[in-house]
Amino acid sequence: MASPTLGIFAHNVVVGLADVVVSNSAGAVLATYSLGSCLGVAAYDPEARVGGLLHAMLPDSNIDPIKAAQKPGMFVDTGVPVLIRAMQQMRADVRRMQTTVLGGAQIMDNSGFFNIGKRNYDALLRAFRDFGLRVHREDVGGFASRTMYLHIENGKLRVKKSGQTEEIIL
Amino acid sequence: MKKVDDYIDQAQHLPPAPTVLPQLMQLLGKSDVGSSEVIDLIIYDPALTASVIRTANSAYLGGRQQVTNLHEAVTRIGMSEIFKLVASVIGHREMSAQCGGYGMQSGELWKHAVTSATAAQLMARDLGDDDCLCFTAGLLHDIGKIVLTEVLEDIYTELVERTITQHVSLMEAETLLLGVHHAEIGARLLERWNFPETLVMSVRFHHSPSEAKPHERVAACVYLGNIISNYMGHNYGDLAFAQHGREDALKILGLDAEDVPKYMIKTFDQFERIEQLFCIDS
Repeated sequence: MASPTLGIFAHNVVVGLADVVVSNSAGAVLATYSLGSCLGVAAYDPEARVGGLLHAMLPDSNIDPIKAAQKPGMFVDTGVPVLIRAMQQMRADVRRMQTTVLGGAQIMDNSGFFNIGKRNYDALLRAFRDFGLRVHREDVGGFASRTMYLHIENGKLRVKKSGQTEEIIL
Repeated sequence: MKKVDDYIDQAQHLPPAPTVLPQLMQLLGKSDVGSSEVIDLIIYDPALTASVIRTANSAYLGGRQQVTNLHEAVTRIGMSEIFKLVASVIGHREMSAQCGGYGMQSGELWKHAVTSATAAQLMARDLGDDDCLCFTAGLLHDIGKIVLTEVLEDIYTELVERTITQHVSLMEAETLLLGVHHAEIGARLLERWNFPETLVMSVRFHHSPSEAKPHERVAACVYLGNIISNYMGHNYGDLAFAQHGREDALKILGLDAEDVPKYMIKTFDQFERIEQLFCIDS
């Protein structure tokens, strides 16, 4: 049984590149730093108070199935199912999940050769569709990297863009 | 408008010439280089010596008996690894300062540089190009930003605005505001330090590799290394992605678009190791 006082001891849990972390600990703040063309995918069930965060680097695991088996969080198509199922194991319900997607920065005039940010986002929409999920909040594309924090206590999501000191609450 | 050299002359915190680097590169270019020659270069630098010994004793290389001196350490690590290590330690020293002029926090330039260098090296190795050279070029490609950051600190907001409103790259906005960009400044700095022409040219044209002839292969490795580093989030400032996509970088190297994600994965694997070696704080 979690102690009700746990929430006052907020602690950051770092979600590294190619990682997935889920939590139902009220004091936890899931943090992922410096999303370039990578996607940060957060999901939160406000009733179960379960949240999860994925930091995926590439859209499609077909490029390296061995890597995908070792580190499913590296790819959007394998990372999203791992995120959702781990949350379901903590009694989260897909129908209640609030989702946020950040990252996917793009260089200029990319001719299709360097459009990994956009491909990551497209892969995300496909992966979400399989679970009947939609994107509730997003801040994708643009020229800057982003850092994001998900508060497990209430689902609050903070974003900081590289080069800026102000945080935005989504 | 000021001239390029004026910026270099007036920069208050101009990095000192890392003289060890070109000397070491020259040494490693010879076929019969002895470890004692390499040691002579490193031994007078306490930070380098410490790093070399520490690396030789790291979990990654060993579990064997602890080495306590430079000679054993160099033998254990191997020549090409030594070069990478020395280049990285020097890079860390030069590039760890905060650069307000690019919206950069302390250490961000270094992380960006090492990730770019690692990606460039991995490509060069697979393609049969000089991987030590590409590593160094990758490590130094943004060194001009150290010079320009003081100048840019006061006009950073304008730089960001120009880039967005005029739909130009960050580098083009630098030229509009200052008459010169970071790649040119970096190249001039390396020229002053008498670095080899390949390094000078690949730094000068790291945003437009086909102009670097006859060094376009090195420049293309650096260009792609830089892009990969940005993709992986090892970058800084509001506008890290405000740069042009250069398809010709792939053509120069005979790579295709799908090779970019593959090298992102390889760089990821390698960077985990580098982070362990240098205990970089995230």
